[in-house]
Amino acid sequence: MELKSDIEDTLTQQKQQKQEQQQEQHHFHVLAVDDSLIDRKLLEKLLKVSSCQVTCVESGDKALEYLGLLDGLECDATLSSSSFSSTQSSKQEGLRVNMIMTDYCMPGMSGYDLLKRVKGSSWKDVPVVLMSSENVPSRISMCLEEGAEEFLLKPLQLSDLEKLQPHLLKSIDHSCENNTKSNKDKNVDDDNNNCKSNNKLSKRKAMSPETPERRPKLKGLAVL
Amino acid sequence: MEVGQMQRRLLDYTKTLLMEGFLDGQFLQLQQLQDESNPGFVVEVVSLFFDDSEKLLNDLTSALDQPSVDFSRVDSHVHQLKGSSSSIDAQRIKNASLAFRNFCEEQNVEACQRCLQQIKQEYYLARNNLETLFRLEQQIVAAGGSIPMLEMGF
Repeated sequence: MELKSDIEDTLTQQKQQKQEQQQEQHHFHVLAVDDSLIDRKLLEKLLKVSSCQVTCVESGDKALEYLGLLDGLECDATLSSSSFSSTQSSKQEGLRVNMIMTDYCMPGMSGYDLLKRVKGSSWKDVPVVLMSSENVPSRISMCLEEGAEEFLLKPLQLSDLEKLQPHLLKSIDHSCENNTKSNKDKNVDDDNNNCKSNNKLSKRKAMSPETPERRPKLKGLAVL
Repeated sequence: MEVGQMQRRLLDYTKTLLMEGFLDGQFLQLQQLQDESNPGFVVEVVSLFFDDSEKLLNDLTSALDQPSVDFSRVDSHVHQLKGSSSSIDAQRIKNASLAFRNFCEEQNVEACQRCLQQIKQEYYLARNNLETLFRLEQQIVAAGGSIPMLEMGF
């Protein structure tokens, strides 16, 4: 019995390594934009647990810079971290972003502004997800109308990331003809494992586009 | 104390925090995100929050002490506090922040200052609670046990 499971382990390991090598290119890469360090850390963790590669930036401007969308003049602005390679050239050259997740309320450029800039650029096919700690129906429909794929309410949970899976897969289909089925299975498995002990105190207040009128319910607080 | 007892104590303590409104389901989500590759994740994020908040609270105190209070600045600080406290599930701080924001809108300096006092108290309470929680966890791990997860069923 033990020997068999050992062999299975080794095989699984080898398979995983091979998959990882193949998927180095095919791992979903998400650009996370949030001015709050804590929220960036959380989002990064949530995404990593969901098997995504993550790049975090702290503002809309930095996001645009990363995507190479700032005007030529500003690209030379002093940046402490030049960890991302030259992004001035077209997106096909090594920079691949499968999804952008951005906070709505940020000083300077808001998530909504960022959304508009992205949708008006060569990155317009990349799904953009907005997040906010405030449940404001008009804000949500505004973003969805502008082309946001989803509007998630903070604090984010693993189940929210599950909702994003189909959008990520859609983006992979656009940019890569290779078979991504194994990738999909892997991600689904990871999520299933992570959500096995999902708490039942689900206070999901997320709005779906179909019911914009639903009144926000705050746990423990009277609805004003 | 043997590991089983320590684990039960931890679970009871967590339940108490939940029932008294210090924590909500979000904290459990955070714990679920923690794994062997990053065992200090929750402690790290929570510590970040407390350091961050301490600064925010200081900023708020001096902002409210100004002869002419800049309410939009105060409001944006409180918004930050509200956001981050809800991310790490410091429910009472979050709720107090909500009340604070209302007073900000009314531009009521005195009420804001009172609210700020309350938030500071909640802040110290929350910090103590979570430090106790983490200490209990550490003891369990040191004794070779694993941290039990609370099942939400009550």
